[in-house]
Amino acid sequence: MRKLVSLFMALVMLATVIAIPAMADSAQDPITVSVFIGDPRDQPASDNKIFKKIEEEFGLKFEFEFLAGDLDETLGVKIAGQDYADLMDGGNSAEKLISAGALIDLMPYISEEKTPNIYNYIQPYLKRLLNDKGQLFIIPNYGRYYNTEEYGMNYVNGPAFFLQKKVLAWAGYPVIKTMDEYFDIIEKYVAANPTNDKGQANEGFAILCDSWRAFCLFNPVQHLMGRPNDGDVIVDIDNNYKTEAYVIQDYAKPYYKKLNELYHKGLISQDTFVMNYDQYIAKLSSGTVVGMFDQTWDFQTATDALTAAEMFDSTYQGLPIVYTEAEAGKPITEHYLNGTVINVNRGFGISVNCQYPERLVQFMEKMLSDDWQKIVWWGIEGEDYSVENGRMVRTYDQIQDAANAVWKNANSAYVLTNSMPKKQGKMDDGNSWDPAVQPENYYLQMNDYDKDFLAHYNMKRPLDFFNKPITLAPYGEAWQIDVTVDQAANDAKAAFQDTERKMLPQVIMCDASEFDATWQKFVDSVNAIPISDFVDFMQQQILDLVAKNS
Amino acid sequence: MRSANAETTAAVKKDLRIRPVSFGKRLWMQRQLMLMSVPMLLYIFLFNYFPLWGWITAFMNYNPAKPLFENEWVGMKNFVWLFSKPEFIGAIRNTFAMAAINLVFGFVFPILMALFLNEIRTMHFKRTVQTITYLPHFLSWVIVVGIAQTIFSSDGAVNKLLLSLGLVKAPVFFLGEGKYFWWLVGVINLWKECGWNTIIYLASMSAIDPALYEAADMDGAGRFKKMLHITLPGIKSTFLVLLVMNIGYLMEAGFEIQYLMGQNVVMDWSQTIDIFALKYGITKGQYSRAIAAGIFKSVVSIVLMLSANFTAKRLGEDTLL
Repeated sequence: MRKLVSLFMALVMLATVIAIPAMADSAQDPITVSVFIGDPRDQPASDNKIFKKIEEEFGLKFEFEFLAGDLDETLGVKIAGQDYADLMDGGNSAEKLISAGALIDLMPYISEEKTPNIYNYIQPYLKRLLNDKGQLFIIPNYGRYYNTEEYGMNYVNGPAFFLQKKVLAWAGYPVIKTMDEYFDIIEKYVAANPTNDKGQANEGFAILCDSWRAFCLFNPVQHLMGRPNDGDVIVDIDNNYKTEAYVIQDYAKPYYKKLNELYHKGLISQDTFVMNYDQYIAKLSSGTVVGMFDQTWDFQTATDALTAAEMFDSTYQGLPIVYTEAEAGKPITEHYLNGTVINVNRGFGISVNCQYPERLVQFMEKMLSDDWQKIVWWGIEGEDYSVENGRMVRTYDQIQDAANAVWKNANSAYVLTNSMPKKQGKMDDGNSWDPAVQPENYYLQMNDYDKDFLAHYNMKRPLDFFNKPITLAPYGEAWQIDVTVDQAANDAKAAFQDTERKMLPQVIMCDASEFDATWQKFVDSVNAIPISDFVDFMQQQILDLVAKNS
Repeated sequence: MRSANAETTAAVKKDLRIRPVSFGKRLWMQRQLMLMSVPMLLYIFLFNYFPLWGWITAFMNYNPAKPLFENEWVGMKNFVWLFSKPEFIGAIRNTFAMAAINLVFGFVFPILMALFLNEIRTMHFKRTVQTITYLPHFLSWVIVVGIAQTIFSSDGAVNKLLLSLGLVKAPVFFLGEGKYFWWLVGVINLWKECGWNTIIYLASMSAIDPALYEAADMDGAGRFKKMLHITLPGIKSTFLVLLVMNIGYLMEAGFEIQYLMGQNVVMDWSQTIDIFALKYGITKGQYSRAIAAGIFKSVVSIVLMLSANFTAKRLGEDTLL
């Protein structure tokens, strides 16, 4: 009997051994996928309902590593050690992963038959997305709009000059258009209100200068000149796409001259040039910063904190500020908003260390189906939203939940799906993919202060402060161009940004009498890099892209 | 009698003379000791010498994605690039300047403090002072720099004090002006490490024979004479050993403090060789150039260490090597 038992056991074990390789082919075999996200976030709760559903359907579990510290340093360490997660979202420095050979080409896994959803997703932008060798390393996470020509937002997620709403209210809801008007209202407000209602000193204008987020210091001039965000260069679309570094041009001088004046009036604090991102967010969250130039997503946490503290009047309204004709040398029309832009090279890539790329591409394919996209954007019907007369709606509480970080941790797979390809725009039945864009929801989610604030301007949405988006230029947005492919251009760009971070604060802080000399020194330093290595490269790339796309 | 005596002495001497033994035999005789040192040797070889083999990448255009020897050899190009870059020359200057400030502060103040503490007769007070002054040593740099940034900010304690005393008209921008940076590093380092560094001097002071002090008392020496002629010479050898060790570390101007406090505005003054290497190697992915910078630093350190050791030998003191 005993012998029989042991024989049986041996057979069972043998069967298991044989069965394992056979089972590995099955798409349902449970595996744990390691994920790196180039953004600091919180781990999702272990009983998260969406992750549970994903595990049931795909047999996939996820193990997240979120960014702690500096993104470039973290990626540099990973590259040096070839230590990659299966799914890598390199955030703002994803190009580094591509040029280091960390990601695999996804095109062999994508075709009209095998992955119809992904194929359809990237198809209109193939020229823009594929490199010279026809490779695709990252499927963009945002910017693919379906069934709509409209700007897919109710607020401006991108760059603007921001002003606390209470300042506009204090001044009687004026319409602010020019740089002088903008800084004038800040000056008057701070003079009349040196402290906020808690007795903390008000700070006129903050400038974030921390690592890559120092775009708050560099970028304003292009917008003052009436162009959308092209990164470090400005492109003259009327003059054969002539490209130049705007910060060193004469038309940049009035802006920094103005900041110099503001600094000497005490409206800009010294500490703004040495504060890091966390200190900046803390400052904004305290409600003492009257204005700043930034992009909405960059200080979202501060907005959330102000809202949670019910300091609605200290939240910010973005304003499309431009130069006057005298300052710019030509009449300027405001163009802060661009047409819809596919988010090139932002999102998940699959690393060379990944054992099952086919399965992960198929996972993204299935997640891009309409049914899953509804779950990704809206959640579960009946729990997170309901359908009335064919319209998808959320109650006030459901909207509040969806904006709550703790709730999201347990009820949304946001940390994962944020980096995955997503549908934006409208569903075939006319509902918006993004709940925040669904008109009936947007008005409902606004607090009374905001409704009242907008009512004074006869507006429905914060977006209405801005002109309609202009048609996207054929080269896309120039900040998306990958500079890492050219060593000289890359070196020049890095040196350029270092010089800006180092010397622009000096330009702003120097004695008014020395302003011209300091400015000239800055311009000379940038030209000595030589900056032409970078600008010439950008010019060529832009002309190539124009030729390719038009 | 005399000759017999001399003979015995010679015989004794002959017996006592250590016979030349072959290396292998001596190794065998000391086998237990050798065996005990094996783990240490292995450790040093594995972690200190073996990684040096990666230095060859300094002579390549290294890309981690490629197998090592498929990278292109570029000879001394990376070193030439380094020394043609004003930023690197500045980093060398900053490293030496801050290290020198740290070295001087790190000797003068702890020795002074140890001397004073040594003179205190109330044990209770002495202990309290000692404990309070060495506690900052256990704080992490992140916290220390955080405190310093608050104290030295434009509305921080230091500026408030200067303003209220009427010494300055506008707040001094300690954190954002290059000329203050080295001294700020020196002062912060001093605050953190001074108390800790006194411990070793106090220990060596307590080893001085009390008879010397008593004899000096008899000769009518006062407190300061005793300090000058007994206490200070008594700690001379400790001082020299520490000096040799610290000169070996002269290229280590610190890393955390410059990393945490060195904002872009003061980059020209705050960037040390280590931070330069980190920036180019890890942040910008130019590994070969960073390794070249690292090699340069190591070579200079070795030269400094050897010359300090040589000098100490000439001064007739015990040396490390």
